Amino acid sequence: MLMAGLVILLFFAAVNAMIWGSVSIEWQDALVILFEALPLGIAFEGADIKAVHEDILLQIRLPRVLLAAAVGSSLAVAGAVFQGLFRNPMADPYVIGISSGAALGAVFAMLSGFSLTIGGFGAVPLFAFGGGIATIMLVYSMARVGRAVPVMTLLLAGIAVSAFLSALVSLLTYFAGEKLHMVVFWMMGGLGGATWHQVRVMAPYALAGFICVSIFSRELNAMLLGEETASHLGVNTERVKKILLAGSSLLVAAAVSTSGIIGFVGLVVPHFVRLVAGPDHRFLLPASALLGGALLIATDTLARVVIAPSELPVGIITALIGAPMFIYLLKKRKKLRYFGGGG
Amino acid sequence: MGINIEVHGLKLSYDAQPVLEDTSFTVGRGDLVALLGANGAGKSSLLRCISRILKPTAGTILLDRQELNQLDSKEAARKMAVVPQEATADFDFTVEDIVMMGRLPYLGRFQKEDHQDHEIVRRSMEMTGVSHLAGRSIATLSGGEKQRVIMARAVCQQPEVLLLDEPTANLDIGYQSMLLELAARLNREQKVTVFAAIHDINLAVHHFNRFILLAGGRIMAAGRPEEVITPENIKKSYGVSATTYRHPLHGVLQISVVRGRNQGENHDGEPAVHVIGGGEEALPVLELLEQKGCRLSVGPVSAQDSGCRFAHFHSLPVVIVPPFTSMNGAHKEEHLKLIRDSDLVVVPPIPFGEGNLSIFNEVETALDEGKPVYIIDLEGADRRDYSGKARALLEGLVGKGAVVLETVDDLHAVVCGVGGAENE
Repeated sequence: MLMAGLVILLFFAAVNAMIWGSVSIEWQDALVILFEALPLGIAFEGADIKAVHEDILLQIRLPRVLLAAAVGSSLAVAGAVFQGLFRNPMADPYVIGISSGAALGAVFAMLSGFSLTIGGFGAVPLFAFGGGIATIMLVYSMARVGRAVPVMTLLLAGIAVSAFLSALVSLLTYFAGEKLHMVVFWMMGGLGGATWHQVRVMAPYALAGFICVSIFSRELNAMLLGEETASHLGVNTERVKKILLAGSSLLVAAAVSTSGIIGFVGLVVPHFVRLVAGPDHRFLLPASALLGGALLIATDTLARVVIAPSELPVGIITALIGAPMFIYLLKKRKKLRYFGGGG
Repeated sequence: MGINIEVHGLKLSYDAQPVLEDTSFTVGRGDLVALLGANGAGKSSLLRCISRILKPTAGTILLDRQELNQLDSKEAARKMAVVPQEATADFDFTVEDIVMMGRLPYLGRFQKEDHQDHEIVRRSMEMTGVSHLAGRSIATLSGGEKQRVIMARAVCQQPEVLLLDEPTANLDIGYQSMLLELAARLNREQKVTVFAAIHDINLAVHHFNRFILLAGGRIMAAGRPEEVITPENIKKSYGVSATTYRHPLHGVLQISVVRGRNQGENHDGEPAVHVIGGGEEALPVLELLEQKGCRLSVGPVSAQDSGCRFAHFHSLPVVIVPPFTSMNGAHKEEHLKLIRDSDLVVVPPIPFGEGNLSIFNEVETALDEGKPVYIIDLEGADRRDYSGKARALLEGLVGKGAVVLETVDDLHAVVCGVGGAENE
């Protein structure tokens, strides 16, 4: 039921995103363009579609919507996994330092002016991705005690490494000079200039990461009761932890490298879903993916239209809208007992 | 029968600090074993080694003749379920969700719970009496209810072995025995081997038939309650003096810790009191005075009397008269000596008969020598009098200056008053 509602919401957000903008397109026209573009051989006779609308929709807005969906759901799912794994409501996709690692990589690429291109990507996303993955590996190896990786140590190591890397980012930013604007803008996050190429590369990561974490949702439920309990219930906790970390890190690194650091989606969306539907990850993960996608599409649309033809960084909008909505829900539900001793 | 758990030469250290040393024992299939030991004796560590949370430094643990660390996680969870000390379940899972997690070791990665799993969940909840809570969020339950839900989850795992790590530590007495009764029932009906760390020895002896006593990371004793729960073992492992006895009502071996008090030190301001006679009726008086910290003496009492046991338990001076005999001269001397050593004398509401009327002589002597005498419940004396002479004798004492108190509670004022006066 709720899932169907979320699918409709996602669809609604997507269609709205495609018809709004500095050039508006009638929603009937948008649907016609979409259906004709699908390789189904459907043609709507007598529909009067402007070629420029078709171009705007298919080459600019559609990839942007799809990219927003992929990034939004990746962040939301990764947030849900980290919150569950760390049993900590404050955890978000960036909690163990992926974002600061990615930021360091990106800023380094911007300032050094590397002109590197692999697989159609420039230096900034490549360095961001590499920085994010390298950071998580560093944090993981630092948190290792013998053969085990206690989540609390992981969280603390992540916070420490993150703080260190953020300081380096600030240092580089300080010397950014005329590139300062570019650096700051990247760190606020945005989906401007989305291309089909980005969608094609981002989508497999998002899909792989999502499948990887969601087939372990039953184990993640057990981990929510504590690692010892999970282990008593037959969960190989160290292995599951490793897989979940790898899957969600992949999601976050892919998201950050395509869109910069978009805050709040990964923190708030899983909480929304839990408040409404409870903590069962078998539902929580797909529902977070849908809601995260829809939320980022909607906020990105706003980012495009509020000061059209110019754009705001979408990270500003997600925080401006997400935070008050979350507080409203908290107040309404009064009890936040799904996480730690609310009773 | 057969052996279910076999622990051999187990060693465990935290940061070079040894916790368990050379621990070896076996638990037979269908046994009901309680693991006793002081805080820090290694009970939890031992259980956590068996439940695969901790990796022993040396030694082997066999579960069903299979090396524990060779078992795959799910296989181990199908053989063994664990109920921890306190369930940390603050999440909004329903009770049914939590119990269903007990099926996790039986489900393949892409397998959905089927009818049979739901049936097992239903039966487990029924057995542990949590069916009515099925739809409730676990976070809203009381500690006792939560622990029963965790028990249901353990039942749902259909284990051969049930490990309990001080499962009753945070429960009220009702839930405590309910939970252990549940474990015993699983053992009886489904032949589940139960191995439980328990703090409350008096509770454990009701439900368990084998005991293992850990002290300093080693096994100090193992076997039947009489073999394990002895004052010597308790003294060595828990560091307190204790007395064991058969409970007068249910006959089960029980243990009572002797209140540790340095002789003389705590008696500073409190008066020395001699309590006349024994029996159930004197116990409230003795207990109250003992709690107040008075230096007590008791007598005369007969050998099997509860007052006599009280005196022995607390190592008090006491005059003992063999059963069915009356006091002879030696007893009288002894009695007088105790009276003279005390600051005041209390006559509790004891029954009077021809056999003990002679004690009034010594009480009279005490009055003559200026000792304060307190008689409790003079009005009720007729009901307790089997000689027909006691009332008159008691009134005679009052005539000589003995003070009448209405109830035992009035002693509070007397004792505190004397003590305070002496202090000032």
